[in-house]
Amino acid sequence: MVEIKHEGGVKMTVAMSVKKTLADLNGSKATLKIYSLQAANEEAKEIYKETTDVMEDIISDLEQRVKTLEFEEPQYKGF
Amino acid sequence: MQNWIEILLRSTVLFITIFVLIKIIGKRNVARMSAFNFVNYGIIAIITALISVKIIENIAVGVVALAVWLFIPIILDYLALKSKLAHNWIHGRELILIKNGKVLEDNLKLARLTGEDLLKELRSREVFSLMNVEFALMEPSGEINLLLKSDKLPITPGHLGVKVNPQTSPQTVILDGNIINESLSNLGLNISWLMNQLESTGVTLDNVFIGQVDSSGDLYLDLFDDLIQLPQPTVREMLCASLEKCQADLTTFAFETQDSEAKEMYSKNVQRLEELIRKLRPYLTR
Repeated sequence: MVEIKHEGGVKMTVAMSVKKTLADLNGSKATLKIYSLQAANEEAKEIYKETTDVMEDIISDLEQRVKTLEFEEPQYKGF
Repeated sequence: MQNWIEILLRSTVLFITIFVLIKIIGKRNVARMSAFNFVNYGIIAIITALISVKIIENIAVGVVALAVWLFIPIILDYLALKSKLAHNWIHGRELILIKNGKVLEDNLKLARLTGEDLLKELRSREVFSLMNVEFALMEPSGEINLLLKSDKLPITPGHLGVKVNPQTSPQTVILDGNIINESLSNLGLNISWLMNQLESTGVTLDNVFIGQVDSSGDLYLDLFDDLIQLPQPTVREMLCASLEKCQADLTTFAFETQDSEAKEMYSKNVQRLEELIRKLRPYLTR
C-alpha cells in the first residue's frame, strides 16, 4: 500500500512527509529545551519542561509510525 | 583678611555643608513638596546666600539660623516616621473630593477649589466626564488623584483572563561596546554565549552601543552604525509557527491514512499538540 502525496509539485511518499514533520518537531523540541534551560522565570521554566516532555511523546509516536511506513515502502528507506 | 578670600572661604564651606545636609533631608521630588517644605527650602537657600556674600556679617548668627531651619525639618520628618498622628499634623491629610461618584462640596471648599478647578484637574488627567469618576482625592501635596468607575478602567490582560509572558526587567549586557559582566551573570549567561549571539547576527562587539537581554533570553542590539539593518529576534514566533505547521501536517496525515490505528494515533497527537500550543502561546508571543 503506497500512498502518494503531492507537495510543491514533487511527488512525496507518506514516509517522506512524515519524516519531514518529524524533523520539524525535533527542531522545535530542541528550541523548547534550550528555553527550559535559560528561562529565568520558574513558571515559564516549568511550562517549557512540560511541553518538551509532551513533544518527546509525540515524536516517539511518529517515529513508530515511520518505522511501519518504511516497512511498507522499503524503497524509500533511509530518506 | 581680604574680602574676596573671606567670601570664597565662606561660600566653599557653606556649599559643602548644605550639599551634605540637603542630601540628608531627603530626595523628595521638589515639585511634589508640601507648601511648608517649599518655604523651608527657600529660607535655607536665602540664609545660605546671605551668609555666603557676607550680608550676615556674624557667622555665628547665620549658622544658628541655618541650623534651626535645617535640623527642625529633619526632626519633624523623624517624628512623622514614628507616629501617624505626627505625620498627619506635619504633612497634612489627603482630602476626599469625589466619593461614590458624588462631589463632596464641603471638602472642595476646604481644599479651596472651585468646581471649575476640579473639572480642570480631571481634564488634565484625561477625564472629561464627571460621570466616569468613582473616587478622587487631593493629596497633601495638592495633587489630585482619581479612580475611574470600574467599567471605564483600561482593559488589562487580567480582565480578559489572558495569560501573558511574565516579564522581568531586561538586563543591559553591552554598553558602549563594553560587556557588563554583572548583568550577564545575573541572567546566568556568560561571555561565550554573548559572543555566539553576536557572531550569529554578524556584528562585532565594538559596533554595539546598547545590548539588552529580555526575560525570555532574546538579545536586542543597537549599533553605532545605524545603516545596518538587524533582524529582530523572532525565534519565538518562528517556533510557534513551526508547531502550528506540524499540527496541520498531522491533521493531513490523519485524513490521508487508511490505517485506522495510525489515524487514531495522528488525531491523538494533533490534540496533544493543540493543547501544547495553547499552553505555550503566552510565552512565545510578546
